[in-house]
Amino acid sequence: MNDLATAVQSVLQQPADATRVKIAVRGLDFHYHDIHAVRNIHMDISERKVTAIIGPSGCGKSTLLRVFNRIYAIYPKQRADGAVLLDGENILDPGYSLNRLRSKVGMVFQKPVPFPMTIYENVAYGIRHHETLSRPRMDERVEQALRAAALWDEVKDKMKKSALGLSGGQQQRLCIARGIALRPQVLLLDEPTSALDPIATGRIEQLIEELKKDYTIVIVTHNMQQAARVSDETAFMYMGELIEFGNTEKIFTKPDKKQTEDYITGRFG
Amino acid sequence: MGNEHTIKSYDAELARLTAEIVRMGELAASQLEAAIDVVERRDERAAQRIVDNDDAIDALEHETSHDVVRLLALRAPMARDLREVFAALRIAADIERIGDYAANVAKRSIPLSMVAPVAPARGLRRLSDLAVAAVRKVLVAYNSRDAQKAHEVWEEDVHLDEAYTGLFRELLTYMMEDPRSITACTHLLFMAKNIERIGDHATNIAENVWYAVTGEPLQTPRRKGDVTAEPVMPKLGG
Amino acid sequence: MSANVYRRRYAKNVVAQALASAAALLALMFLAWILWVTVSRGVQAIGVSLFTKITAYADQGGLANAIIGSLIIDAMAIALCAPVGVLAGAYLAEYARGTRMGETIRFLNDILLSAPSIVLGLFVYVIVVLPMTAATNGSITFSALAGSIALALIGLPVIVRTTDEMLQLVPSTLREAALSLGIPQWKLTVQVLMRAAGSGILTGVLLALARLAGETAPLLFTAFGNNYTALSPLAKMASLPAAIYQYTNDPNPAMHAIAWAGALLITLFVLALSLIARAVFARQKTSHE
Repeated sequence: MNDLATAVQSVLQQPADATRVKIAVRGLDFHYHDIHAVRNIHMDISERKVTAIIGPSGCGKSTLLRVFNRIYAIYPKQRADGAVLLDGENILDPGYSLNRLRSKVGMVFQKPVPFPMTIYENVAYGIRHHETLSRPRMDERVEQALRAAALWDEVKDKMKKSALGLSGGQQQRLCIARGIALRPQVLLLDEPTSALDPIATGRIEQLIEELKKDYTIVIVTHNMQQAARVSDETAFMYMGELIEFGNTEKIFTKPDKKQTEDYITGRFG
Repeated sequence: MGNEHTIKSYDAELARLTAEIVRMGELAASQLEAAIDVVERRDERAAQRIVDNDDAIDALEHETSHDVVRLLALRAPMARDLREVFAALRIAADIERIGDYAANVAKRSIPLSMVAPVAPARGLRRLSDLAVAAVRKVLVAYNSRDAQKAHEVWEEDVHLDEAYTGLFRELLTYMMEDPRSITACTHLLFMAKNIERIGDHATNIAENVWYAVTGEPLQTPRRKGDVTAEPVMPKLGG
Repeated sequence: MSANVYRRRYAKNVVAQALASAAALLALMFLAWILWVTVSRGVQAIGVSLFTKITAYADQGGLANAIIGSLIIDAMAIALCAPVGVLAGAYLAEYARGTRMGETIRFLNDILLSAPSIVLGLFVYVIVVLPMTAATNGSITFSALAGSIALALIGLPVIVRTTDEMLQLVPSTLREAALSLGIPQWKLTVQVLMRAAGSGILTGVLLALARLAGETAPLLFTAFGNNYTALSPLAKMASLPAAIYQYTNDPNPAMHAIAWAGALLITLFVLALSLIARAVFARQKTSHE
């Protein structure tokens, strides 16, 4: 009886809406040369939730993702206007240091791209740039990251081997390990499984589910089923605009906008 | 349906599913009509044919379920398509039950034809006309994805319920007046209840059509016309 | 369609295939011929004395000083052009991506790549040999250093070009991956990209070495030649191509035989370099797939 009472109590004490906004996008515009690729986006990305961005090729979904860690800045003539607030601070502000931003926001790409180094070095390389750690501490951090990426058991005996010898799925998990080794708060995934087979894809999706306990995850995917499987919230973009953004279940059973419905049901001409 | 899928065969499969269900529903409505005819004509052999015909509806329901599973597995329908396929599965189950009730009415007409006819049998025709109209209307609503029409069917069920309540009271009065009519009236009572249930299934179908089209559940409180279960007439039980 | 159409197409295909095969055979035949002549004539003069005696003994001698000279000059040339070429290639691929400056430099590099080698020899003669002669009152004139500078100018565009291309072949996501970890550009270039393109760049260097090892013209006005063994980079120095040039101009057939042996040595050296380059590149390919 007492147990039941405390259980009820704990449920009742939970705040009704425990989510907090991690990234707030306000009036974001993006230009490649003079192409207006992303138009006036407003969206709130919740902390420790998986947010999926879907839409046809060229709709601006990857572009939007690439604004969140300002990776676009390495190419000339690409410009973002508006505000992207990470914990309330505008990351588009030139005063916001790239080093600081990229230690907070990690990114995983479509194709697994391990560095041409050993498995150990792949994970340690990024950490070393941001922190100076003793050898045992570094070993610990590398192991933690590999464990979190569900790769440790497969690679613990070949840490000194080249990462290029791993399978595609393992390489992608290594890239995730490399990203989370820096202990970021946000993880950006740009079509992370499009080059993987269904089993490796399943592993990554399982991993995403585990990682969302600790990270805010934003995933861009072409695979709608994947968005439906892994995400809590889904954003649909079309021609650079955010058409609809909301609860994933809602988007996939009863979207409000016709464009969203047409895209999701495969009626796009 | 609005614009077409990029994959044309997907449209063809969804259209086939709709056609199957409409055919099944039409079959069930005809079965009910035939069953009432049989009750009035007291035709034993025709009654048996109707009972046997129910297998055709069961077979169609089987086919529909198969198509639904295949669509779910191979097309992974989403949003409106998902609601359509989901609704189709439930509508098929409702129609299958309607068919069962119609067959039941036909089955009971056999023992009924063995006893002397009673007057309220005519009231049964009015009840079943309402039920058949409801089934046909909801099928039209389904076929044209007309949520408004579906809602009308849902609203109109109250008339069926009222007719049922009326018949129920009439039959009770008969039985009290003339205990020799109890056998016939009991059969008629069960038939009436079956037909009233058919109306309920038509409303279920209306709810599913509404959901498939709008994505919302249909849940504003509905007027209830069937008060036979309410303690208004405690001495008669329920 | 009628069988006739098919038959006509078949006949056309046979003719086209025959012409292409004949052209390929013709080219191959000349290559085989050149190799055969070089090997058959060169083998006659290959002996211990070829590697032990110097050119001063003329038809009684060997090519020892020329072999040593070539090794020194080529090594110095590669040492001069490899670092410059690799860094310039990295500049083009990583820093000057898509800029007008980069495009201009790439274009000029291509011109240098196809410049006649004798022009480069004369250029070095004018900017190195003549000033040096003037500065030292004639005590230093032609030198191995000047020769290796001339050869370096031949190897340089090859290395710039291959490094540039090899780095451009590295997928841009690797750059993005490193930058998204906060790694700065210079670390990315040196520690990640150069490693990823490493064997390709090394292949480029080896091919540049193969290219400059066979050059004669730039050496005539720069390293000049020497009948004795010289080790100082500031001295005139013998080299295999220059010695071959000199010997083939001699009426004595015994000298011709030695020249053929020298040609064979260069051929074998270049062949070995090409094979190593292929092996190195093949290893990179397998390790990246």
